[in-house]
Parts: sequence; structure tokens; C-alpha cells
Amino acid sequence: MTPNTNRPTDAADSLSLVLVALMKGVVYQEGDANLWHGLLNLQARVREHVTVLGLQLVLDETEGYAYLRQQPTAEGRSALPHLVARRQLGYGVSLLLVLLRKKLAESEATVGGPRLVLRREEILDLVRLFLPEGTNEARMVDKLDADLARVIELGFLRKLRGGDDAYEVRRILKAFVDAQWLDAFQQKLADYRAHLRAHLTEENGATP
Amino acid sequence: MDFATLDTLRHQHPAWRLLVADHAPLIASFLHRGFLEANARALPQRELVLKLEDHLHTLRERLGEEAFPRTAAAYLDDWAADGRGWLRKFYPPDTDEPHFDLTSAAERAIRWLSQLADRSFVGTESRLRTVFHLLEQMTEGTEVDPEARLAELERRKAELEAEMAQVRAGRVELMDEAALKDRFQQMSDTALGLLSDFRELEHGFRELDRVVRERIATWEGTQGELLETVLGEHDAISGSDQGRSFRAFWDFLMSPTRQEELTRKLERVFALPAVQALKPDPRLLRIHFDWLETGEHTQRTVARLSEQLRRYLDDRAWLENRRIMQLLRGVEQHALAVRNQPPGRAFMEIDEPSPSVELPLERPLFSPPVRLRMADSEVLEASEDVPAEALFSQAFIDKERLRENLRHALQTREQVSLAELLHEAPLQQGLAELVAYLDLASDERTALFEDSRTQTLTWTDARGRARRITLPLVLFHR
Repeated sequence: MTPNTNRPTDAADSLSLVLVALMKGVVYQEGDANLWHGLLNLQARVREHVTVLGLQLVLDETEGYAYLRQQPTAEGRSALPHLVARRQLGYGVSLLLVLLRKKLAESEATVGGPRLVLRREEILDLVRLFLPEGTNEARMVDKLDADLARVIELGFLRKLRGGDDAYEVRRILKAFVDAQWLDAFQQKLADYRAHLRAHLTEENGATP
Repeated sequence: MDFATLDTLRHQHPAWRLLVADHAPLIASFLHRGFLEANARALPQRELVLKLEDHLHTLRERLGEEAFPRTAAAYLDDWAADGRGWLRKFYPPDTDEPHFDLTSAAERAIRWLSQLADRSFVGTESRLRTVFHLLEQMTEGTEVDPEARLAELERRKAELEAEMAQVRAGRVELMDEAALKDRFQQMSDTALGLLSDFRELEHGFRELDRVVRERIATWEGTQGELLETVLGEHDAISGSDQGRSFRAFWDFLMSPTRQEELTRKLERVFALPAVQALKPDPRLLRIHFDWLETGEHTQRTVARLSEQLRRYLDDRAWLENRRIMQLLRGVEQHALAVRNQPPGRAFMEIDEPSPSVELPLERPLFSPPVRLRMADSEVLEASEDVPAEALFSQAFIDKERLRENLRHALQTREQVSLAELLHEAPLQQGLAELVAYLDLASDERTALFEDSRTQTLTWTDARGRARRITLPLVLFHR
């Protein structure tokens, strides 16, 4: 086989590989250098392909990750059925995401280390401040473990191998917990707080 | 050097704190051997723990079992803690294992300690010459008057010619032994000192990076103003004085002819009897390779820090970061206010990081269950004598007994692997019992399966045959 006939199939192969990998989840530079390289080379074709499905390629070269998200529907066009599902998050998980995002921002402001690694106790300490007073410690730990598992499942935390109980906060979190998301969160919390307050004054008014 | 400064230094400077630490001999001896003697940078945790365990073991043999009661890993973590600052613990890219490096402060303390041991020979002449040399270079390098410069060059030329004439006349002046030893000592001091300079240099770069980041994070003015002040620091790291000096050093060292020259000269010098008499450290022979290695480490650090700083300064990211910090504060305030009545379950939504593609064909297809048909034959009354034990001798594994084994094994240690456990309490009921152990492990929150490592277990089955199985490593913790 001559190199000339070889090349096109190779390219097609890697296009398929890249597309399949993206359909399955976030592609990281440090996860698979070959795949990443293929993605960078075939960027334009990947974009073309996923647009057909109503998707959009988000590629952050400096941070070293890429993923697919739902294409915002253009005006005057009928919306395609969504391929990217939205997940409901409980308050605990949402708050945990916010706290991790803050840690990420803080670590960027102080040290140039490329990775943020937190131990389980550190995460526990982050959350503790926001729990009702007198929370049963054991229950809190169980709850946090469940929340942690959920965040790992979402792909924003990664448990490091080795029984050290250490987790890496993946930088992709920045793409999902962005200013817009945080703004919505803040708004919701403010509404909830106002609602609580109204409820309280109502109760107080009823009691003589 | 007033009282207040020294007092603060004693409390805050890691080097001084190392010197006054209770375990200073342990710490300094270990770090010296682990990092300085080996000229090592960034060692993985596992390797360092093993080394420290060895070190502790030999010490305990000499000082008794009670000496240094903590585990190697605990010591390392302690030495890397903020309050100590003798080791730097970090995660290099592409690995899940924490790495340790000596901090430059600890290195200085240890080098100072090593100087306390008397030197066999103290040379002064070469130092004086170095001083003259440096002064000469500085005056020459800043001389603007071409006349003066030429005169100086002429003087040196005359000196050289006079020396050449001497040699031609057969009068070769040889350096005497004392002068040789003196120079060799200075050479080796400087050469080793360079290695420790790298570490300090890297520390300096990191410090610089931190200062710039802090400035950015706490900036109150507009972005334009920030960019203006920071623009000068865009290459704050590689453009700093030490950055430029480092680059010059690097360029000098990187030339292959220079490296060859160094190798050749070092070999020649090492062969001299006067130098041999000093019992020189053989590592000096390849010191330039160590320079290259640690220099490259520093080089990479500088490149990475510059790159990250640039990214951090990127105006889009900068604005987003500001906004996000603001929002984070808001969220935290609200969350604190409602912490006694947190909102119910589903609160926010987030996109999945990938499209969900359901592949119906990947699911197993429906297959009708096999239906058992009873043969249509007459059931006769059993007349044979069937031993009733068969009904009762089903294998029964007493999980409580297994738990007891486990508790017993954990009384004396922090963790135990399944293999160790079975070594002490061999399987009595073969595979079924092993499965019960695994079942126990999956229930227990203190048990850990490590897929990356395996263990091999053996037992003897009911027929007396030896059985062997290889499993992922199972560890039970206390």
C-alpha cells in the first residue's frame, strides 16, 4: 500500500475517533495526546459534523479540554430535539459546585500550580460552614459523600488513584459553572431567602 | 540584624525553624541524603516514603523502637505543611501521585549545617584572585572610553607575550600543590553552590508569580489601568534580572563545545595527584549534567509560570474572574443566611458534559425464560435410605467469624490486605469463604479495592489441591 492511499483512510479514522470520543464525554489534552492532536487538526470538520446534530464544539486550547454542547437555536429556525440532557441538581450538590469553583478561582489568584487537588477533609471543611447548626456530623459526612459521588459522576471532580482520599478539581468546571450559571444561582437563592422572610413575618403577624 | 528582625526570622523563616526543630538531625540528615546527595528534584511520594522508612528503620535500630513514633508518610506531610515549609508537595501534570521537592530555605539550612563540619583545607588565594577578576571584568565592561579600553587590552597582550616568551625559553611554571588544592576547593564549592542556586531561583520565580497574581486579584481600579501596570510585568518572570542571568547561563551551558570542554577539563583535573589527595566527590565529574538537569527543571517552571500568568491576564478571563468573584460572594452570603432552612431537593440545573446517546441495540434483547417441564411420570415413594445430612451440610459461611478475623488483624496495624489476612487466618471453606470476604469488603466502608495493583491468594481446597487466584488488591483499614 502506498502512503497516498493510506492517508485519507487514516484521517477518516481519526475523525470518527474524535467524534465518538466527544459524543461520549469531555476530551482532555492530558488524557490522550494523540486524540487531542487529532481534534486540533480536524477542528473545522468536527464543527461541521456536529452542527448537523444541533451541537456546538467548545474547545479550550489553553486549558486543554473540549466538549459538545447544545447549539443555541437560531431565530426563525425550528429547534432540534436536544441531544444534551440537563441534569437536576440538589441544593447540596449545587452549593458544592459553587464552593469548588471558588477554590479554583482562589488557587488561580495565588499559585501558578496547574492543578488543584483537595483532600476530602478540606472539602468537608468548605461545606461545614453552610450547614444548619447542630447538624449530625455522621449524617453530614454521609450526605457529603453522596454529593461528592454526584460531582464525580458529573465529571468535575476526579478521585486520584492511591488511597489518599484526594480529589482533583477539573478545570472544565469553569466552563459549566460560569458567571451566567452563578448569577442564576444567586438569583434563586435571593428569591428563596425573600420567600423565607415573608413566610416568617406572616407567622409573626398571625401570632398575637 | 536588629532584635526584631531576627526574632521574626526565627519564628517565620523555614531555615531557622528547621535548625531549632526537635527532630532537626532526623530531618536534615534525611533531606540531605534524599535530595542533596542525590542531586534530586521532585521525588514521587512513594519513593520518598520508602527512603524515609529505611532511614527511620536504621535510626530505630540504633535508638530503640520508640524513637520517632510516626509513620514516614506522616512525617513527610508534616514537613510539607504550611507551618514548616521544608518540603514542597505538589501534583505534577499527568500523574496522580503527589511529588515532593526540597524548599530552597531548607536547602540553605542543610548546606550551612554541612559547613559546620571542619574543612580539611581552607584556601584563600584563589578567592582573592576571583575578587580581582570580577573587579577587572566590571571596570572593563563599563569602560566607555575606547582609549582606556585599548590600553587595558594592550597591557594584557604584553603580559601574555611575556608569558609565552618564558614558555618558549623552556621555563614552564607549574602551579604548586597548595594553589591547586585551593582552586579545586573553590571550584567544587561554586559548582555545588550553583545547584542550590537553581532551587532558590525557582523559588524566586514562584514568589514573583505569586506577587503578580495577588496584585491582579486585589486590583480595585479599571482593567485598563491594571493592564498598563501589569503590561510591564507581562514577562515579569523571564524578564526579571534573575531571569535574564539564568538565560545567559543556560545559553552558555547549552553549547555542545562548552560541554565537551567541561568534561575534558574536569577529567584532567581529577587525574592530578594533588586533587586526588583531596578525595574529591566523584559526582563533581558529572556536575554539568546535573546542572543541565536541574536547570531544565527551572527552565520548565519559568516557562509554565509565564504561560499561566499570560492566560490569567487574558482580558476575557480577567473580566469573567472579577464577575465570578463578586457572584461567589453574593451566593455565599445568601447561603449563610438560609443555612438553617436550606432549600429542598432539586435546585439548579446543569448541562451534561456530553450528548446522551442511547444505543438500544447495545441492550440485551428479550429472551424468553426457559420453561421447565415436569416429565409426566409417576412419582414413586422413595424406598432407599438417603442420608439426611446432605440437606444440612450446605456450606454455611459465618460472616461474624470473618469479621472477627479482620478485627483481630487490625488490632495491631492501620491496614491489612486480604492476602495478609488470609496468611494469618487461612481459608477453611475455600472459594465460598473468599467470596464472603469480598462481599464483606464491598459492604465495609473502610475497605478499598485497588484495580491498579493485584494480589495473588492461595488456599487448599476440600480435595487437598492447591488453588491460586489473582485479584485486584483489597485493603481493609481500621
